[in-house]
Amino acid sequence: MLTSFKEIIDTVRQEGAKRLAIPSVEKRDIALLSMAAGAGLIIPCLLGNGKVIEGMIKKTALKSLDYEIIDQKDRGRALSTAIGLIRANRADMLMQGGHDHQTLMDAVTDEKNGLKKGKLMSHISVFQLPKQKKLIFVTDTFINNGPTLAEKQMILEHAIRFAAIMKIDAPKVAVLAAIEQINLNIPSTLDAAILSKMSERKQFGKAIVEGPIDIDCALSQAAAARKGLQSPVTGNVDIYLAPEIDTGHLLAEALAFFGKLEFAGAIMGTTNPVIMHLPFVSDESMVVEIAIAALMCKKGGDNA
Amino acid sequence: MESMIRSLQDVSSLAREKGPKKLAVLAPDDEEFMLAIKTSQHKGYINPVLIGNTENMKRVAEKIEFDISGFETIIGNDRQAIADLGLSILFSGNTAMVSKGQIPTSYIYRSIIREENKAGSGMTISVITFWEIPGVDHLVAFTDTGVSIKPDVKMKTEILKNALFVYRLLGYPKPRVAVLSGQREIGGTLASYQAYQSLREAAAAGGFGDCEITDATSFTEIFLGRGGRTADYGNIHLDRMPHILLVPYLDTGNIICKLDFFLDVTRCSLVATSRGPVCIPARSDSSDNIVEQLAMSVVLADRMRQGVK
Repeated sequence: MLTSFKEIIDTVRQEGAKRLAIPSVEKRDIALLSMAAGAGLIIPCLLGNGKVIEGMIKKTALKSLDYEIIDQKDRGRALSTAIGLIRANRADMLMQGGHDHQTLMDAVTDEKNGLKKGKLMSHISVFQLPKQKKLIFVTDTFINNGPTLAEKQMILEHAIRFAAIMKIDAPKVAVLAAIEQINLNIPSTLDAAILSKMSERKQFGKAIVEGPIDIDCALSQAAAARKGLQSPVTGNVDIYLAPEIDTGHLLAEALAFFGKLEFAGAIMGTTNPVIMHLPFVSDESMVVEIAIAALMCKKGGDNA
Repeated sequence: MESMIRSLQDVSSLAREKGPKKLAVLAPDDEEFMLAIKTSQHKGYINPVLIGNTENMKRVAEKIEFDISGFETIIGNDRQAIADLGLSILFSGNTAMVSKGQIPTSYIYRSIIREENKAGSGMTISVITFWEIPGVDHLVAFTDTGVSIKPDVKMKTEILKNALFVYRLLGYPKPRVAVLSGQREIGGTLASYQAYQSLREAAAAGGFGDCEITDATSFTEIFLGRGGRTADYGNIHLDRMPHILLVPYLDTGNIICKLDFFLDVTRCSLVATSRGPVCIPARSDSSDNIVEQLAMSVVLADRMRQGVK
């Protein structure tokens, strides 16, 4: 089981660098790419205006490391070329670069020329808990607005697969809701109960899925005991499944800002890893995000 | 204008000064909760009126060595009847506040709604959960964290009015509000973001009196500003923290506000009815935490009685 960001980076380092395509690269990306390449995680393939890129890297650490520049001044073509490199197995992973989230997502989900694999993509926020020596995963924190039960099942399956990549064989899952009891007026409690029942019937392999469960019971075994809830999941959750995007996104932000937790993200449901830049991710954590993507390459993507 | 209450320490000090307040205690059948009643009574916050099953109350009190023989006791065995009775004596002015013990919160809400309807107050029921956050020089409130499952703009308007009412009682003349949303660059416009837009327009038109609805709708925007790209956790602008955070849904509010089980924050929840506060600790709350919630209710009860606006 990988329990820290350092362990993730160390694991990837042993595997050798992966090729990362970044379209319309911007100056602010260079320091990050230098760090990741310097750590032996990636060989960057920078797409954009060749001369401008040369100028950007001239006095940086990247200059003395392995990299490739593909001169493509047109921004749209830079993005499609980057994705094309991946589809042709000439690159292993895609990073956002100078495109906004929507443009990136539109290109990635393009049915003919994109990278989407399966019916749905999802986003996992990975947090490092140094005191507990463990990683926790919160999902979906960026992509699906209001997932149906069927979509929640897919998001959960993505997270379980991701946990396996992090070497967690039997992850403990909290399907979050406002309360730990089933209330017919609160749809999230019904969805959670169904997923939990599916888990009982081993429809999620070795994963133990508890729901509905409120956050206090998820976080604290003592709190759960006071509410009469006995479960191996309470106080020891690996995966937190959010009911919808408002909750998932704000929960991830709350953990990052109020908990000051180091955070990295991962996108599931693509043939190859896609790295997005969220504003509450520090540069140091972005290196971890790249390492996670590299680890996913090693496992052949997320196999969605 | 009463003094501004910035911390739970302020709340405790004021609760000692303004207490004891008469408190209807509903079904104190749990040791942790009864311990909070004992502590609050010893601190001079409350004068309890115990409502519930006599045997249960005696048994729990004995376990924690709390002599309840001197307190007014009202026998009640049906949990909805206990809730109804507690709220009716609050609304008749016989107690200043109410606290929930081992009764489902939905029963309490039902009783509050009945009493508000009878009183013709027009007040909507919503839960306000305060956080005391180290480094933030004021209390921060999430709302609604307990009642409305998926409030529309009309309901959010009422929820916000309730929170503003409470903040003005706490001495904040112009509270700052963030209407939270999971809006991102992808996925279209969320209902929560549309609510933000509507409420901001209403605030600009003076619909909420003196208050400011910030243009930030997420913690990223609150702390990094719009368009912020990279977090620097060593340089977070805690001074940008609004007073009131209006959450999109019940799930969102309840899940985030109870992160106190994990984060270095202290939580305290209540419902402000038109006649006084109702303390609604979670069944998982510790006695220390419940004492803080009772202290907040004492202070609010005092200020509501004084008619501080």
